[in-house]
Amino acid sequence: MTDVRGYVAVFGALLTLTLVTVTIANLSLPVVPTVVLGLTIAAAKATLVVMFFMHLKGERPMVLWPLALTVFLFVFLLAFVLWSESDHILGPQL
Amino acid sequence: MSIPYTTDVRPDTGLTNPKLGIWLFLASEVMLFGSLFSAYALLRSGDPSWPDQSAVVNVPWATLNTIVLISSSVTMVLAWAALAPRHTVANGANGVTEAQQLRRYRMFMGLTLLLGAVFLGIKAIEYGGKLADGLVPATNNFLGLYFTMTGLHALHVVGGMIVNAYLLGPGVRMWTRDPQRFTNRVEVAGIYWHFVDVIWIFLFPVLYLL
Repeated sequence: MTDVRGYVAVFGALLTLTLVTVTIANLSLPVVPTVVLGLTIAAAKATLVVMFFMHLKGERPMVLWPLALTVFLFVFLLAFVLWSESDHILGPQL
Repeated sequence: MSIPYTTDVRPDTGLTNPKLGIWLFLASEVMLFGSLFSAYALLRSGDPSWPDQSAVVNVPWATLNTIVLISSSVTMVLAWAALAPRHTVANGANGVTEAQQLRRYRMFMGLTLLLGAVFLGIKAIEYGGKLADGLVPATNNFLGLYFTMTGLHALHVVGGMIVNAYLLGPGVRMWTRDPQRFTNRVEVAGIYWHFVDVIWIFLFPVLYLL
């Protein structure tokens, strides 16, 4: 894709989402909603960069499969850590 | 002996070798930074006295740095886009000469380098402020992770800037003798640069806002 207008539109979306992230962090919401919203917006921004700037959209399966394996391993690593610490994280709320 | 499949697509992978190589390298990078993010999750969730992060770090500077790095991603992709039309339409059919393409490429790649330097300058101001206040990696777990994660990220920015400086300086000579290969090099360098941006997109909320 060499659509310059498309790249500028993605840039606008990234700036908007950055301002939304900072605004949400200043709302003094409880920790869990702040973390969930912050990371969800970060994931949305990362998706925009990876799909459009890094041209993953429409890329060959030879790229997609190794990346899918990497994402699986990273999520497994993080989930295992959070599971092992679940008593610390959820304890006060139970 | 030259590296095979730098411009032609390799039949079995459907990709050029540099593009497959950079994606596999970035997959390993995901696990490198992933180990640090999981260490952060482990240490923070297990520490009831975790400091108020936003009181320790400088959120306005970090917000500005986020905007700077996102902007550098746009200029990087526009640098590649300035060269790419040569290969997607008949030469000159879009009314853009090769000299104009190269001029646009140099402008956007130069901006990318400038924005990378601004990012590192702001990071140096942040570090200087903390060190002046006696806040060092050994102060607590948060600062240990803060300096490790942002320091490793800054090293990646430096690495990307070195490659980009080469592609703006001596490396640009390849444009005249093998334009498609040069365009592919810029795209691969761009994929790495955008990955550095993606890492910062997660570092910003995790270390500064949450």
